[in-house]
Amino acid sequence: MSIEIKGVNKMFGDFVALDDVNVSLPTGQLTALLGPSGGGKSTLLRIIAGLDAADSGTITIEGTNATTLPPQKRNVGFVFQHYAVFKHMTVAKNVAFGLEIRKRPKDEIAARVDELLKLVHLSQFAHRLPSQLSGGQRQRMALARALAVEPTVLLLDEPFGALDAKVRKELRDWLRRLHDEVHVTTVFVTHDQEEAMEVADEIVVINNGRVEQVGTPDQLYDEPANDFVMGFLGEITTLNGVMLRPHDIHVSLTPEVAGAAEGTISRLLRVGFEVRATVLTDDGEEVTVILTRTHARQLGLETGVRVWVTPAAGALTMPSLTAAAG
Amino acid sequence: MASSVAVGGRSARKRRPASSSQKSGAALTRTSAFGLGVSMIWFSLLVLIPLSAIIVKATGGGWSTFESVLTNDNTRAALGLTVVASLIITAINMVMGTIIAWVLVRDRFPGKALLDLVIDIPFAMPTIVAGLVLLSLYGPQSPIGVEVSGTRWSVLLAIAFVTLPFVVRTVQPVLEELETDVEDAAASLGATRFTTFRRVILPALVPAIFAGAALSFARGISEYGALVLISGNLPRSTEVVSVRLFSFLEGGNTEAAAAVATIMLVIALLAIVTLDVVQRRVARRG
Repeated sequence: MSIEIKGVNKMFGDFVALDDVNVSLPTGQLTALLGPSGGGKSTLLRIIAGLDAADSGTITIEGTNATTLPPQKRNVGFVFQHYAVFKHMTVAKNVAFGLEIRKRPKDEIAARVDELLKLVHLSQFAHRLPSQLSGGQRQRMALARALAVEPTVLLLDEPFGALDAKVRKELRDWLRRLHDEVHVTTVFVTHDQEEAMEVADEIVVINNGRVEQVGTPDQLYDEPANDFVMGFLGEITTLNGVMLRPHDIHVSLTPEVAGAAEGTISRLLRVGFEVRATVLTDDGEEVTVILTRTHARQLGLETGVRVWVTPAAGALTMPSLTAAAG
Repeated sequence: MASSVAVGGRSARKRRPASSSQKSGAALTRTSAFGLGVSMIWFSLLVLIPLSAIIVKATGGGWSTFESVLTNDNTRAALGLTVVASLIITAINMVMGTIIAWVLVRDRFPGKALLDLVIDIPFAMPTIVAGLVLLSLYGPQSPIGVEVSGTRWSVLLAIAFVTLPFVVRTVQPVLEELETDVEDAAASLGATRFTTFRRVILPALVPAIFAGAALSFARGISEYGALVLISGNLPRSTEVVSVRLFSFLEGGNTEAAAAVATIMLVIALLAIVTLDVVQRRVARRG
């Protein structure tokens, strides 16, 4: 195990940021810390890096107890949401910073910087200042800077949070490919479940300072440990007192299955290829159903149409303990 | 010429690169032409025309006036004292001002808001009042037993007192905008606190420090009120240029006064240009 987190607690005044967190992050993998804002995931990342200190608990990185080590000695690469570039240095100088601190020979530094800039596709910008780069380019530079020192682990704190949707998507794919090339143990924090599921090998869901579940994206999606994880990883709706995903609901114009709930379509919303229908059942439940546009057309769905809804075969369901949203 | 002699505490806080908005050669719009016209008239009335008048007056007597002024031992001593004292205090201000700004921005302590307010007092109060304050504390019958009046220490003290806020006030806003993320990034790359300060924080502060230093120096060489009471104005010992200049005027020697004024003008200009050049060098290194 590359990073072992045992019994970590952290308070900010009265606010409990982390509550007895125990996680093992495997070597060479890309792990996402996923959760809502203010849930403690960034705090955990900063504690791993040594930028914040835990009130209690231990951090072990590659077998060495790092709990009391200062950030300088942990050999971690850290990438910040807002890039944290050294504004007065050129791109090449930024990347070389860690190597210069380590007093490596000049030609070795130059070669390494060259190689890294190639890796992040910024070779032609080597002599520019960071202010002359776009947000996506700055973040790639920050990534090269963190990788330059050959860190044991690479930590990214909401690395794409400040970028626009299109660039975010590109960088996400690129990070995944980069990780497949470099294979450094990587942990990144995100509040975007789609980002986590697309990029990560393993996801740690953190909420209210506690680890809710650890697993692969498929495990989390198919076998959520609780209603929080289920709700956070995708949309949910309630039908006959059970929670399930809106696309796991079968809609028919005639009562095909016994126990299907009868209702009227109260609202129909089309977003691109998908159609979101709200069905008001006769029991007074508001059920959200998602189907493809083609499917909705075949059925001839429109507001006011009477339909029967039932969980589709193989649908993941969970008894609704709390009043589920949506 | 005198455009960089920005008077007033806060104006030199940020220096924009020359190419900020207007492209040179592009035609001015009506509003910007109006704005430029108004600024030029105002600036000329207040600064350019009086300054030219001084220079004309000084050169009216030909080189001989300058020569006699410069060969006068008392005047030379006053010039030397003023410039050297201002340089020493400016150097001290660059260090102390940065430390004070750091404390005000980064540290939390009771009374911080009050200290932040009090910093401006030496700048805000009438300089003759500053002189009185210093005299009551460091003059004869000093309550703390430190008497410096009539010595060169008093000149340094008075200049230090009135120029204290400049570097603090130019560095403070820059430090406020500096993200702590950058320091964390440097730390995780292996830099010690000292290296982080030297290679990451200081380069970001250098332009502000030098802008404050330029203001501080300009104010130092021109100080009169705070000095005149405590220094004793002893020729060739504690007499500074502004006092010397005043005594020329009192004696009706306006040509000599104008010559001294012109020399001071050149010194101020040289200092500001030098500081600007040094600042550019340092900032580029990184």
